[in-house]
Amino acid sequence: MSCKIGRLAAWAAVSALAIVASAQGAGAEPLDLKIGALLESTGPLSELGPPAEKAINLSATVANKAAKDAGVEAKVTIVSADSQGDPQAALSATRTLVDKGASCIMGPSTTPESISVLNGITMQRKITLWPLASSTRLRTVKDDGTIYRPVPADDLQSKALVKAIENHVGKGKAVAIIFRNEPYGDALSKSFTTDWQAEGGTISSTISFDPQQESFDSEAGQAVDTNPDAYVVIDYPETYAKLGAALVRTGKFDAKKVFVADALSFAKVPDNIPPEALEGAYGVAGGSPTGTDAFKAFNKLWDEAGGVANASYTANSFDAAILCFLSAVEAGSTEPGAIRDKIRSVTKDGAPQFTIETLADAVKTAATGKEIDYVGVSGAFRFKDNGDPSSSLYDVFQYQGGKQVKIEQVNVK
Amino acid sequence: MTDTTQTERTEARASVLSSALAALPRPALLLAVLIVLLCALVIAFGPVRALQATVNGFVAGSYTGLGAIGLTLVLGVLKLVNFAHGDLLVTGAYFTILFAWLGLPLPLAMLTAMLATAALALATEKIIWQPLRLAKAGSLQLFLSAIGLGLVLRFTVQFFAGSQVRTLGANVVTSIAIGPLRLGTLQALALVVGISAMVIVGLVLRFTSIGKEMRAFADNRALAEVSGIDTQHIINVTWIASGFLAALSGILYATAIGSFNPNFGITLLLSLFAATVLGGIGNPYGALVGGLVIGLSQEWSTLLFNARWKPAVGFALLILMLMFMPQGIFGRAKRRS
Repeated sequence: MSCKIGRLAAWAAVSALAIVASAQGAGAEPLDLKIGALLESTGPLSELGPPAEKAINLSATVANKAAKDAGVEAKVTIVSADSQGDPQAALSATRTLVDKGASCIMGPSTTPESISVLNGITMQRKITLWPLASSTRLRTVKDDGTIYRPVPADDLQSKALVKAIENHVGKGKAVAIIFRNEPYGDALSKSFTTDWQAEGGTISSTISFDPQQESFDSEAGQAVDTNPDAYVVIDYPETYAKLGAALVRTGKFDAKKVFVADALSFAKVPDNIPPEALEGAYGVAGGSPTGTDAFKAFNKLWDEAGGVANASYTANSFDAAILCFLSAVEAGSTEPGAIRDKIRSVTKDGAPQFTIETLADAVKTAATGKEIDYVGVSGAFRFKDNGDPSSSLYDVFQYQGGKQVKIEQVNVK
Repeated sequence: MTDTTQTERTEARASVLSSALAALPRPALLLAVLIVLLCALVIAFGPVRALQATVNGFVAGSYTGLGAIGLTLVLGVLKLVNFAHGDLLVTGAYFTILFAWLGLPLPLAMLTAMLATAALALATEKIIWQPLRLAKAGSLQLFLSAIGLGLVLRFTVQFFAGSQVRTLGANVVTSIAIGPLRLGTLQALALVVGISAMVIVGLVLRFTSIGKEMRAFADNRALAEVSGIDTQHIINVTWIASGFLAALSGILYATAIGSFNPNFGITLLLSLFAATVLGGIGNPYGALVGGLVIGLSQEWSTLLFNARWKPAVGFALLILMLMFMPQGIFGRAKRRS
């Protein structure tokens, strides 16, 4: 009996202490934020997985340091899973992440995966999803304000492609479009056709292919037959390994006329893509303002961390995770719905601006509940009502010696 | 010879064409149809485009046709719908990577991989198929076991090799120019190997004693057994041949296509079955010709429709052809009891 009473007394003492502690902490219990990273580790976009993973891990390091410097009790942990470029796999990977307590989900990289994850779990649980998928099709589904895209949608990418071709080939030329028959390729090819024709250009042929096929020689032949001034290729690395080889085999193909969309943007051309299929080819991918201190700081962090080379959209992944963290601090909660409701409060136009260099101050301000404007490595975030960026800077690059070289930047709205 | 007369009888019943045309054997009839179609395409689209599409059709067809030869053997001789066949192709390709990684030069690694896959196919007979037969498993049970085996093989490969895209490092961009037409060097190799494999398997089945025994076994197992044929030996040989051919086509596919992952077998499997059924089950010539016909109809269709529809057009034609020749191109009408 005395034993029981003793235990009860101990419990009472502990609870009392806890109440006192929480009261002293001005109602702020330590935030233990888990950010889920849905990575393309394997599958058709497996080139994108490792750089995205490194970017998100860096954001946790930076966020934890900022919280410590600001004296705010908050901790960020990254939990990750492989989405395999497959809607089913992405959904089950997300379930794992949510079971591990993820309050935001970074990724995935394709629209079908994003829609599957959205409808399967994240919308219902009000978990914000930060996909790197850029298709305009993603906005044809109801998302209840849970999808924030850290990358610009393809209606902007289409305009960047138009500018890149005008700058390097010329206005009013004939362009052949080759795209994989999927939401990404289908929607972007349509936007491009409209935008290119509006600028007085012509489309010599539009060739779509089924990515499940094993040979693309007929498709390649049709593309080169019209002898266009430029090719727009909207494809993933896995299929371009086959399509690119088929294009070279036609004997009439000039890779210098190629303009690839962002899914074919990599720091170094992968081994399975024949070098002749991309050497001299141009491409566009969402870029970051290069002159800023935030950009320099991010690159320094990246290089110091070692590991994989920097690639397109790493800054966007990094910024997305930071936004999730700042929103959680602002909300004083790791509850997914509370985070969702604070995203526009940490990207508020007109509020005091902060960057990764002043992140500790941003955390301090956000912890008081005041609105802030986090200006990311990839630029300021001005989300439209649907959660897409309203403008973006694009890098125009060229593959030289198997490596990506940035040539210029174009701003599109 | 009785086969031919029966074929003719079926033709005469099935065909609504004139009796002279109906009397032609199906392969000849098919060839005539293909030539007429080709001529029409040449007139409509010019010789270069039509012939290039034909060359591409042969290439696409050889990928599936070659893989289907091993499948048709198992289906014809053992009456087993081997859903794991596509994954045997994958195993062959990944064994090559394994042996090359262990230090063998590539050609030797390929040969070793074929032998290893043949051994694996024989092992599946000993571990799975023989016990299942002895337990009197029905065709549905065998079918499900084959699907299961395919999954086990695929995920075993994924477990050890990962699911990322691999390459055997062959040069896939060189091509042979025949006038204005282009044919990839490795694609030409795939076509030549496909035709050679078909001829060799066809000759072995026709003229060697083991081939005759296999055909006898396929026709009537009980009768073969009472005639003194060692049936277990036939089954073993069929598995070894099927595994060897699967690995050969898997390796050739992996080399000629240039990049692959462990899922290429299951993606290819439907086309393999289509080629097998269209060609006539159990017939190696049929497997390759079936593959070529599907390849040709898909690539020819790109002249008329957007290329994204080519699988749909190819398989619609397959259904149409099976309506006219349900036994397949080289298949035989069922014996009446």
